[in-house]
Amino acid sequence: MQGFIYLVSAYAIVWVGLFAYLAVIMMRIRGVRTELAAVQELVREQQEKPTTS
Amino acid sequence: MALANRDTQTERQNSTIGTPGQNTRPPIASLALLTLTFIGMMTSIFMIFLYVPTDAIEGIPQRIFYFHVPIAWIGMLAFGVLAVASIGYLWKKDERWDWLARASAEVGTIFITLALITGSIWGRTTWGTWWTWDARLTTTLILWFIYIGYMMLRSYMGRTPASARSGAVLAIIGVIDIPIIYESVNWWRTLHPQAEVGTPGALPPEVVLTLMISLVTFTLLYSFLMLQIYQLQKMQALAQQLHANIE
Repeated sequence: MQGFIYLVSAYAIVWVGLFAYLAVIMMRIRGVRTELAAVQELVREQQEKPTTS
Repeated sequence: MALANRDTQTERQNSTIGTPGQNTRPPIASLALLTLTFIGMMTSIFMIFLYVPTDAIEGIPQRIFYFHVPIAWIGMLAFGVLAVASIGYLWKKDERWDWLARASAEVGTIFITLALITGSIWGRTTWGTWWTWDARLTTTLILWFIYIGYMMLRSYMGRTPASARSGAVLAIIGVIDIPIIYESVNWWRTLHPQAEVGTPGALPPEVVLTLMISLVTFTLLYSFLMLQIYQLQKMQALAQQLHANIE
């Protein structure tokens, strides 16, 4: 019975670890995409400035 | 004029980094790898728990082997990729090699951590202890420290050429630990079993087949994770360069 608990613990740690890591990656990608969109908007605004003045 | 220079600079950067639209789209390779990993993982789980026979001596906990070995293999493979990418960076001075190195270091750190944890649990059931200063365990722990050192160095120095160079040197020195880990069971007297895969008759065919499928599955998972982190690195580099242009 104890051996079974160790087996389940090992697999649970691997699964939880990998899913947590995947979730962190997805959140980081989302964060960088948002940042990139904001910076691109700033660049666009800067590029438009001289043509309007 | 200054703005015109900035524009041409941005265009040049985009030629290596890609256009912003390209960076936000998930590549087809990612979806294909994720699908293959899912199929492989389901097959591995089925084989580990329902197909492969229970070990006569170690019993049920021996099934940890089918995850522990591939995870440890990926931990070492990732460091090999990190070292090759580091050499590539020092040689070509191309930032893409550095993104590859950073991606491999990050994924490798996760895998080697999981290998140490699963190994510790397996050791508790077979050796009666969570940890012993056995040659293979110790050299693997050294690899973990090298990975952590690399990650800390890169994080502390930021995204600069000096950071990439320092990281590359550390990775090239650190890769020496990989053959030492592999050969540790032959060079020293250890509790860790010697390599049985590839030795005729050492393992039943069901065990070898299950291990191989698990190895392929984890290699696919590593490739999938690498692609995600590489894309992330690419987008971070683009964001940093755009920030620099508007400041």
